[in-house]
Amino acid sequence: MNRLIQRTFPRGGNREVPDHKEATEGKPIRSLSAPSIVVIPMLQHIGAPCEPVVGVGDKVKMGQPLGKNQAFVCAPIHSSVSGEVIAVEDRPLATGRRALAVVIRNDGNDDMVKFETGDLDKMSPDVIRQKVKAAGIVGMGGAGFPAHIKLNPPKPVDTILINGAECEPYLTCDHRLMVERAPQVVGGLLAIMKATGASRGIIGIEENKPDAIMQMQDATQDQDHLSVAVLKVKYPQGAEKQLIKAILDKEVPSGCLPADVGCVVSNVHTAIAIHEAVIHGKPCYERVVTVSGGSVVDPRNVSVRIGTPIQTLLDFCGGLLGEPAALICGGPMTGPPILDVYGPVVKTLSGISALNHEEAGFDVNRPCIRCARCVKACPAGLTPNLLGDYSNRGMIDQVIRLRAQDCIECGLCSYVCPSKRALVTWIKKGKADLAALRAKERELGVSACK
Amino acid sequence: MQVRTGPFLRDAVTIEQVMGDVLIALIPTVVAGVLLYGRHTLMVVVLSTLSAVLTEAILTRAPLTPKGIFGDGSAAVTGLLLGLILPHTTPYWVPIFGSFFAIALVKLAFGGLGYNIFNPALAARAMLLLAFTSEMIYLTDAVTGATPLWGTARFSWSLFWGNVHGIIGETSVIAILLGAAYLFYKRHINWRIPVSCLGSAFILALVWGLDPWHTITAGGLMFAAFFMATDMVTSPVTPVGEIVFGAGCGMLTFMIRQYTPFPEGVTFAILIMNAMTPAIDSLTIPPVFGVGASYKTRIRGFAVTAGVVIVLLGALVGIERNEPAIRPLISNGHYLPMHELLRDPDYDVVEVDETRYYVVRDEEGDPLQAAFIAERNGFNGPISFLLLLDAEHQIERVSVLKQGENPGFGELITRSSFLSQFVGMDKDSPFSVGEDIQLISGATVSSRAVISGVERALQHFDQAFFGVDGPGILNDGTFVGETASFGGPLEVEVVVEGGRISSVTVLRHSDTPGFSDPAISGVPERIVAANSAQVDAVSGATLTSEAIMSAVQAALESTSVGQGDELELDPEVRDTSDGTSVANAPFEITVGDGTHRGRAQGFGGELVLDVTVTGARITDIVVVESSETPFIADAAFKKLLPAIIEAQGPVETVSGASVTSGAIHGALRDALNMKEGQ
Repeated sequence: MNRLIQRTFPRGGNREVPDHKEATEGKPIRSLSAPSIVVIPMLQHIGAPCEPVVGVGDKVKMGQPLGKNQAFVCAPIHSSVSGEVIAVEDRPLATGRRALAVVIRNDGNDDMVKFETGDLDKMSPDVIRQKVKAAGIVGMGGAGFPAHIKLNPPKPVDTILINGAECEPYLTCDHRLMVERAPQVVGGLLAIMKATGASRGIIGIEENKPDAIMQMQDATQDQDHLSVAVLKVKYPQGAEKQLIKAILDKEVPSGCLPADVGCVVSNVHTAIAIHEAVIHGKPCYERVVTVSGGSVVDPRNVSVRIGTPIQTLLDFCGGLLGEPAALICGGPMTGPPILDVYGPVVKTLSGISALNHEEAGFDVNRPCIRCARCVKACPAGLTPNLLGDYSNRGMIDQVIRLRAQDCIECGLCSYVCPSKRALVTWIKKGKADLAALRAKERELGVSACK
Repeated sequence: MQVRTGPFLRDAVTIEQVMGDVLIALIPTVVAGVLLYGRHTLMVVVLSTLSAVLTEAILTRAPLTPKGIFGDGSAAVTGLLLGLILPHTTPYWVPIFGSFFAIALVKLAFGGLGYNIFNPALAARAMLLLAFTSEMIYLTDAVTGATPLWGTARFSWSLFWGNVHGIIGETSVIAILLGAAYLFYKRHINWRIPVSCLGSAFILALVWGLDPWHTITAGGLMFAAFFMATDMVTSPVTPVGEIVFGAGCGMLTFMIRQYTPFPEGVTFAILIMNAMTPAIDSLTIPPVFGVGASYKTRIRGFAVTAGVVIVLLGALVGIERNEPAIRPLISNGHYLPMHELLRDPDYDVVEVDETRYYVVRDEEGDPLQAAFIAERNGFNGPISFLLLLDAEHQIERVSVLKQGENPGFGELITRSSFLSQFVGMDKDSPFSVGEDIQLISGATVSSRAVISGVERALQHFDQAFFGVDGPGILNDGTFVGETASFGGPLEVEVVVEGGRISSVTVLRHSDTPGFSDPAISGVPERIVAANSAQVDAVSGATLTSEAIMSAVQAALESTSVGQGDELELDPEVRDTSDGTSVANAPFEITVGDGTHRGRAQGFGGELVLDVTVTGARITDIVVVESSETPFIADAAFKKLLPAIIEAQGPVETVSGASVTSGAIHGALRDALNMKEGQ
């Protein structure tokens, strides 16, 4: 049975964050042909960077592995074009970081390696995980956690959630994918269920995507163990723990994984990628990216090869109307600013937001008037006004006491602040300080717990 | 491009909008205040707002643009809030000075917006209340004002719409609720603080047996619950903290109203809770997502709440339990309505001798409970007070309504510890100072004035409703009465016609000629006019006046017992006149005619008097040298010297100047060569 009850997570959140999805949600995904040169970084995931397995001058095919690493938390990198490796060097990423990258001149032929197709019914969970690992699938919602590890949960799980909440303003790639490729989402869901041994699958979608809800309901109609959960619009419902709370009413304990409450959450795009990897053997070398915002001439969703410069993507969407007030990797609430527009598209890039001056807001850092809007809004139940201040001042004991590590960095505290304080930025700094302290404690063998 | 950090979307709300919305929410209360109290009110709030904005602009050296001077609007909010919690009669300098204090010392000195510990408007009000009490407390004659207008049953509705005099912004509940609704709609306040604040006061009122609706609608509680306690900067940020804070405000307000002389408890209640805000915040950090409300956290939250409740209730119990016997009649500048005082909505209003008596009558028309306002001159002018008599005509309650006594000293007469001494007394009580009634040290003049005022008021009440000697009507005829005055026996003839005194003639007296003449001619006229033996004495001839009154009383007493024109004196009457008027026997003048100089040690130094004796009588006393406290001693000189000449002997000391009075007597004895104590 499909579930049509609208629900949401109870605590914190904000139902009035404007979603700004109208510019792209109705437009079909268009494909951008591969550029003449792609830059493929060796680090597109959480974990150890890949070691390049090709050298300058090598001819590579589309889908051929470029980098691998035997480390536990790692996902291999594949070529997105066919052509010749012209450089293996440090290249700037869009976010301003630098990473070792393989630069390939596209020969335009798109010669593919032969993909191994398969039948899900005949696969064992281990085979599924191996196929997912070989395809280099990572969390494509932005987290970049290697998917094959997620498919091997430390505890038995009974429920798989597909995260179609897409609460981040402007972004509609998951929305469009659910509308256009609903069967593949279901295919990915089934693959994940098989790999993890879960008995039911739920696709959670916010009610502002009625066409996606309809498509997913149609796609899951015949299967009793699959359902669609319609969620009220509330930011940040797409956050993993908030989604679990909203759909299953279970609270993932602090510092624990969703598997601890018997579920695994996967993004819509990741599910599709898993489906393609398992059934078609297709590695992750392209993805759908939302290009939106008031500064974009023709905002839309674009299917683009990994390694394409962001500038090329922007040009494909008609370019920008003047200098944008903010150019962001992903959505404006959680995304980092784009510091280099020639940086490549990576597996985790779900969108590019180019906000004009009317849309964008920035830190002003006026004095806190203790209005407590951030406290009421925080979905993690923190007190951001105090925590932000303590983090900013480096008062680590208070940062520990107020549990900075539980911040999910949704940015809602900064969003609601009438004084436009950089609360989430400070708390991120506090988290980093805390993590450094913990690492040092581990190194010195001191107890991590106070 | 400049590197900025996310999020790059921001809610449109700004500090200016929050402050602007608070200003908008205050418009109904301003309008209600102006409608109720007139344009002076508008000036008060405008001045307080302007003063606050200018103080902030000058001290922060704001740029000379309208926006720069207006700033973030928080100064305007502080100024307007302060204006709204001032009495509508306040002089113009009060809002100006108050706003300056609020902004300069309570807000900016602590670091400006967001850093102040105390609510600036309330801190300024507290300062003004303590430093300029008389400008801050406005007490109106509610008995003649609100109650008749609104009848009996609808009193609380009059509070609701705003027809009770008091503080500008605290008057109209409907205006306050309108503004609060706007703030709720804009989500600048939430339910926790107002509900817990009003709710705790409501519950305490129920427990204490008061009318809970009156408790929360009267005075400043409603206004403060929505606009003061919810001040973002000075209230907790955590949800549980907000409830603890609100409950503390409500409970402390109730306590302060019940047990202290301050008419407005909510100011101090919120300031106290402001000081506790950081601690409350720190102890009520909400449980984090995924951590849940751990056992420890829950226990701690429970302990904090329980601790606050226990401390507050403990303080309630710890405060002298004998005090609540008499509760302040005036709660927060407003009076209890007459029907509540008399516990009967069916009462008459009777005017006798310019005093308005509110009387409940029994079936036969005889008065039972009664309430009325009396006045007596105190140290700085008239003290008016409300007397409430029970069905036995014993004092149930005395409340000082209006007084201009010195702050800190004279104003202590408004304390219930003093006023409760009167409870249970009636017209026959002796009112002897030091035995039945203790004076307030430091406020002897004021407290004596209240004591004598209460005594006289009881007598007036008695005369108004029971005539001179009970409800009977005077028998017609001519009667003679005699009493002992200080010069010797005094005899009067009283003619009663048609049940009224038609004439009074002094037949015989031996009082000092000249001094007693005004009394001999004046008092009989007054007695006839008042149809009563109890009238005001003629100044300068108090003793003779009182002797005439006693004699008339004696004559009239003889009528009711039907003894006709017998000349025999009623011994009781003589006792009464002796006891109250002449304290001591006249001086024995042994020195010859002439002017004699006498000295004695006074309060401030030596006191030197010249006493003129003519024909063995004191005819004049002149103060040659005095180092006594001005004003206080002046009263002694002014009152005491003529009285001594009239009495030819020592008289009662002047209250408040007992040392000086003693010195005068000492110097007199010295001049007349008498020994101390004679």
